[in-house]
Amino acid sequence: MSGGTVVVDSETVWPADSEDVEEAVVSNWFVREGTAVTEGDPIAEIQIEKVSIDVPAPTTGEITEILIDEQAEFQRGDVLAQVSSA
Amino acid sequence: MAEADETKEAETTAEREVTMSRAMVGAIASEIRENDDVFVMGEDVADYGGIFDSTEGLLEEFGREKIMDMPISETGFIGAAVGAAQAGMRPIAELMFADFFGVGMDQIYNQMAKNTYMSGSSVNVPMVLMTAVGGTYNDAAQHSQTLYGTFAHLPGMKVVIPSTAADAKGLMHTAIRDDDPVVFMFHKRLMGIGWMPAPDGPKTPVPEDDYTIGFGEADVKREGDDVTVVTLGLHVHRALEAADGLAGEVDAEVVDLRTLVPLDTETVLESVRKTSRLVVVDEDYHSFGLSGEIIAWATEGALDDLSAVSRVTMPDAPIPYARPLEQEVNPGTEDIADAIQDVSE
Repeated sequence: MSGGTVVVDSETVWPADSEDVEEAVVSNWFVREGTAVTEGDPIAEIQIEKVSIDVPAPTTGEITEILIDEQAEFQRGDVLAQVSSA
Repeated sequence: MAEADETKEAETTAEREVTMSRAMVGAIASEIRENDDVFVMGEDVADYGGIFDSTEGLLEEFGREKIMDMPISETGFIGAAVGAAQAGMRPIAELMFADFFGVGMDQIYNQMAKNTYMSGSSVNVPMVLMTAVGGTYNDAAQHSQTLYGTFAHLPGMKVVIPSTAADAKGLMHTAIRDDDPVVFMFHKRLMGIGWMPAPDGPKTPVPEDDYTIGFGEADVKREGDDVTVVTLGLHVHRALEAADGLAGEVDAEVVDLRTLVPLDTETVLESVRKTSRLVVVDEDYHSFGLSGEIIAWATEGALDDLSAVSRVTMPDAPIPYARPLEQEVNPGTEDIADAIQDVSE
């Protein structure tokens, strides 16, 4: 079904070797609200205890809302952004 | 025409953006794919990806034949790069900090910079010496210098200092394809590293296709009629912030030099002839350097048009470690705004 909203879930990119870590920081957003994205494109870089991890777009569509600001800390499982799927 | 421009601008605001480090890495990767002679060597450039992310991810794509970690001997590996370049390859050697130039200086300055001339052009040295510069993160006197003036002073090397991702990509392509040695100085604070957040500005949309930016082409990052601010690197963004803060009071033009060798004196003179007031902002030391050089060019070329000059620089002292002391000596947005106001009075 087209037109749905898909969340960018930080849990999905949490690495296995960071199982005991609960916080991370958004180092960089590569998109803004309104940016068109293709599934798999890196849209953000997060940092978990000095390890940088790219966050891919979960679907092809448009970024509708960014929920965690750059340099802000968030908890494992927090939603980072919302994407309206094409 | 106006309508087309508006459409373009609307698209630009929603484009994907990349950090300066990713833009540089993208350019290097593209050149390695296109040209078998291009490779990278330096300390921690392979597994670590460069301590300031300048080679992040290259090892995974290209392997250890192309991305080579070097022992801690700048003399050894910069010399090897010079030899490889003279033999026809296009090495990119990373000097981890510009501050360490001293330990490899004979290779940099007596070999890399001079061998084309010393050999009567029977060899040339098409290499890039990539190096991290600048402070603002409490790394003290031996890891915080820009040394822009030192490198630009010594003839035989081109000297490039990008301030944005889009500029870094185009300038890196040009640097790798250039048949002469190029020193590519990137400011650590602009790279977009997780532990060293960049200011607003260096992260930009970057066209996916390869493109080059010619050396010796300064970029007017902000147009204005009242005061010319000439700067480079990190301080482009501080100058833009200062100029924006003064909007409505003083209309400042911000010129980003982008390359010091060759130096685009024409753009500086054109701007100074328009504004008649010049502020040079430089993260390098005050005396015998870039700020004096730019003012000298402006004086020689536009003496009658000049009514005021000022320079905002680091003082002539080793850079302190303590955070409040370093913040005090490194030119800040307020220092630049004060200088712009002073020359406009």
